[in-house]
Amino acid sequence: MIVPAISFQHLCKVYGDLVAVDDLNLEIQSGEFFGLLGSNGAGKTTSLHTIVGLVKPTEGQVLIKGLDAVRDYRQVHKLVGITFQEFVLDAQFLNVREILIYQAGYLGVSPKRAGSRADELLHKFSLWDKRSSRVQELSGGMKRRLMLAKALMHDPEILILDEPTAGADVELRHQIWEMLQDFHKQGKTILLTTHYLEEAERLCERVAILQKGRLLALGSPLELARQRDQHRLEDVFLELIRSDKQ
Amino acid sequence: MIGFLTLFKREVMRFIKDALDTIAPPTVDVILYMLVFGLALGTRLGEVQGISYIQFMMPGLILMSIIRNSFYNPAYSLFQSRWDGNIADVLSSPLSHTQMALAIILGGVARGLLVGVLVLIAALILTGLPFAHPMLALAYGLSVSIAFAGLGCVVGLWAKSWEAVNTVNVFVLDPLVLLGGVFYSLEMVRGIAVIELLTRLNPFTYIIGGFRGALLGTTEVDAIIGLILALGLGVVLVTLSILLFRVGYHLKT
Repeated sequence: MIVPAISFQHLCKVYGDLVAVDDLNLEIQSGEFFGLLGSNGAGKTTSLHTIVGLVKPTEGQVLIKGLDAVRDYRQVHKLVGITFQEFVLDAQFLNVREILIYQAGYLGVSPKRAGSRADELLHKFSLWDKRSSRVQELSGGMKRRLMLAKALMHDPEILILDEPTAGADVELRHQIWEMLQDFHKQGKTILLTTHYLEEAERLCERVAILQKGRLLALGSPLELARQRDQHRLEDVFLELIRSDKQ
Repeated sequence: MIGFLTLFKREVMRFIKDALDTIAPPTVDVILYMLVFGLALGTRLGEVQGISYIQFMMPGLILMSIIRNSFYNPAYSLFQSRWDGNIADVLSSPLSHTQMALAIILGGVARGLLVGVLVLIAALILTGLPFAHPMLALAYGLSVSIAFAGLGCVVGLWAKSWEAVNTVNVFVLDPLVLLGGVFYSLEMVRGIAVIELLTRLNPFTYIIGGFRGALLGTTEVDAIIGLILALGLGVVLVTLSILLFRVGYHLKT
């Protein structure tokens, strides 16, 4: 039996009267490039945060390679690299290179390996010239690349990206796409949320569309378009969201 | 273990890199106290329990430095990491909740003890402090710094604003320390009912008194009682910090 890389099983998350995630059942296979789509407040970020323990499920569970994200969180966190929607960077006193090295340390990478890995990723993400700079001196695009480099410091099997290209200009977006495709070619699993549907169409093998925490549709962008006699994922998305509202 | 050491190193580097704001001010403060109360007013203040007033006051001032600095480091570091969001880096790492709490607390202990040692050295030079029982003094320094770093960790998790962290300092720490006999002995306030009662009921009276005994060799209270109180406080606050990390208090939704 093949164990899925990520398995959401009857996942529910309720905040007071608000149901953020409503009985989500979803399996993402190892090596898959998967997109989680939906409007603001659809439950995408909440679902991702349950994987790394920032959100406690109200009901149900999330399994990562068969490991429970709550009970086995230490093993799960070794397998996963995450970039958050906001710029989550330790700007108190660290420079760019130190941010990467400390991140690797938290993840159990030895100091020697962390240094060489940081240098490798600084070159790869065109941040080498900024290695001694503070976060406050970086542009938005540089911060995005730094966030991505941070998530890759321990060479995780699964990469979780919460709107990795939000606010990025066209050139940077293409750079990030190429980096993600390189990572995917190495057989790694990627779970991505995005509001850019052409991005999901271009990168993702399968997508899930969420609305008010519920799963509305699941399949490859092409399949979903064919099923609804549409040409673009964006049209499928709009049709689903509008019909759900009615 | 690498993760734990990395977080501990971060907490230490946080105050080392910013030593002019974190280490220098409390050290200079206490040295100023020594100059004012020792050199300027010392001869007019007379003796307390057979020792000069500046020597009587020094153990309390040293302990006050340890308490404040042990408290500030985890309280501000943790609150700022929550505020900036980068606490997520630690929470999404393979560190156990116990390791997270202990690394942050030990960072506070390191800062408290560093400032404590600097002030002690200054006191030895400027006031000729006898340093009667070094091991007992070390036990006090360690247990008090652990206890207040634990409190700092709890407050860093509890606080919802920068002001809240400072409020704990102003309304909890300062009254407890100042009414714990830093500047006076029980003998000096005998007959002043309110102050005497507050001082006797205050656990800090016994902790500061015990530390005074460790440094000066003479005190009004049993040094062991103060040490047990400090250790007990440390166990409670460190355990509470670990529990708060486990339940994700103000960390997870």
